Amino acid sequence: MPLRPYLFPITFLLLGLSVLLNLSLGSVWIPFGEIVSGIFSGNWARDSWEEIILNYRFPKALVAIFAGIGLSISGLQMQTFFRNPLAGPYVLGISSGAGLGVAILMLAGSAFGFALSGINSWAIALAGISGAALVLMGVSLVAWRVKDSMTLLIVGLMFGSAVSAVISVLSFFSGAEALKLFTVWSMGSLGALGWSQVGILGVLTGLGLLPVFFSIKSYNALLLGENYARSMGIRPDRMRWLMIGSTGILAGGITAFCGPIAFVGIAVPHLARIVWKTADHRILFPASALIGSILLLLCDAAGQLPGIASTLPINAVTSLVGAPIVITLILKRNFSKDF
Amino acid sequence: MEKFQRHIALEGKELSLGYRKGKTSKEILSGLNFQLFSGEMTCLLGPNGVGKSTLIKAILGQIAPFSGNLSLEGKDIKTFSLESLAKQIAVVLTDPIFPGNMTVGQLVALGRTPHTGWSGRLNEQDRFLVEKALSDTKITYLQDERLSEISDGQRQKAMIARALAQDGQVLILDEPTAHLDLVNRFEIMSLLRDIAVNRGKGILVVTHDLDIAIETADRFWLLNCGTPLISGRPEDLILSGQVNQLLPSDKYRFNLIRGRIELEGDASEFWIEGPQELVFWVKKSLRKAGISEVQGQITIQHNPLFLTYSGQKFGTLEGLIQYLKT
Repeated sequence: MPLRPYLFPITFLLLGLSVLLNLSLGSVWIPFGEIVSGIFSGNWARDSWEEIILNYRFPKALVAIFAGIGLSISGLQMQTFFRNPLAGPYVLGISSGAGLGVAILMLAGSAFGFALSGINSWAIALAGISGAALVLMGVSLVAWRVKDSMTLLIVGLMFGSAVSAVISVLSFFSGAEALKLFTVWSMGSLGALGWSQVGILGVLTGLGLLPVFFSIKSYNALLLGENYARSMGIRPDRMRWLMIGSTGILAGGITAFCGPIAFVGIAVPHLARIVWKTADHRILFPASALIGSILLLLCDAAGQLPGIASTLPINAVTSLVGAPIVITLILKRNFSKDF
Repeated sequence: MEKFQRHIALEGKELSLGYRKGKTSKEILSGLNFQLFSGEMTCLLGPNGVGKSTLIKAILGQIAPFSGNLSLEGKDIKTFSLESLAKQIAVVLTDPIFPGNMTVGQLVALGRTPHTGWSGRLNEQDRFLVEKALSDTKITYLQDERLSEISDGQRQKAMIARALAQDGQVLILDEPTAHLDLVNRFEIMSLLRDIAVNRGKGILVVTHDLDIAIETADRFWLLNCGTPLISGRPEDLILSGQVNQLLPSDKYRFNLIRGRIELEGDASEFWIEGPQELVFWVKKSLRKAGISEVQGQITIQHNPLFLTYSGQKFGTLEGLIQYLKT
């Protein structure tokens, strides 16, 4: 196996740089040196910088890291499990499912004429996760025997549009306030979370990663297909529930908090495969997590237009970056060969 | 002297197999009796759709027999868990495999999956067995090649090495030589026989390659619709004529002299003189061309080849056939 031991240190370095870049960019530019010295010594050149970094940008960077890890790990799990290079939380309608959960929570109250009091972070997370898990179960029931990329994509698209239709119906009947709340959510944002919500997201990410640690070997075996995996003592049905649980919590939780974020889940595992040139999940899982974090940190930084206080919606940026990556991969034709 | 004690690795008694769908059940095989011996390569032959895949699924524990008994190393197969069965039986299936990015070494290492801990890390013994599997299949030189960059034959050998690394007593291969060229077919089948003999494994190969199976197998299982499974040394089955059971109609017969299946035709209608091995090909060509009788004698001369018929000389069979047809 052509080991490339230098790759992980380099990626960690890139991650550090991305965090610094992400922290320094924004409506106010804060130099790298000031951030480093501020964090390590606790003395900030300006009080406002301390406030901005610690209470606004640092939680946002953490969210970017958690979301990057969660979405890429979900994507990798789904690609291996479905043996389909085009699988991913967004393409398969998981994000739409989470959206439905959140929409029901935010919109249904006003649509049916009663107020759902106490929309707190946990409720949003729970709604997103259950919506995601529900759609994922539906898709995996249909796609279980489907090895063909096109069919799986179409199934995912159908689920996605069915869910969107339900959301449209809900929007039509809901009040202006709730609608605005939901629309802002659906644009996606990493920065709207306070420390307590970041904590919840962290817990969810950890929870979603837990099943992954115990099934790395099974994912490697699943690369040969369900029948071979079974012949090697792996139970694919158990893996299916682990995968649904893990990706539901990861993609669902992240979508609930940050809104739908496209293309990270599908593109990052391929980037990891290309860079590390391996199919071994012991390497691909950490590699995808690292690349996902870096990508999302950079996308978020790119969304911070210099000199303007407002930021681009994160979903728009990841789509602008991710879509060309996926198209390039498809055009290169070794898309599935490199799987 | 045999290096390993020959014993029954896998045994089926009065086995009845099929599929259940809802309340209806469809029986595909019934009254099946067989014994797979360790240290032998057994070839399972039979027409498409006779239930070979069903039998393999039953052996792998994926479907439960309707009735009868299937035992592995003397123990009922139902008492094995999926994990412990994986330590005993390894398979090479016809499923296409995806991961082009995986190296041959990694693929073979996957065979250790049932034996490793949660992360799949290989210990010293695992690594030793992986290397042994690679050298036994003579693909150590391919270790670092990617699956997308090697030939079909090499990939099949890698899959066999993976199954070997799984280190079970029984190896089952479903049409391992399909889509391979002639040389690779021979190589893979004789490789499997070497493994059976040298490592004392019971190897079951499902194949349609009668020629190569006759050359390499220690034992045949013939499976046909509506008849019990016939087991025996290939040569025994040939001498007793039971090998003809494989052939669905009377049009084809197993030719004892040539050791292969041929279209049956009454050769006496031709009057051909010449070396025996050449007569065979001339007859074959005439029969294929739809010529069932020839008035008069055909004479074959060897070196240089020419054929004489009713005073005419022909340099090729094509010329003769054209003349006969007009």
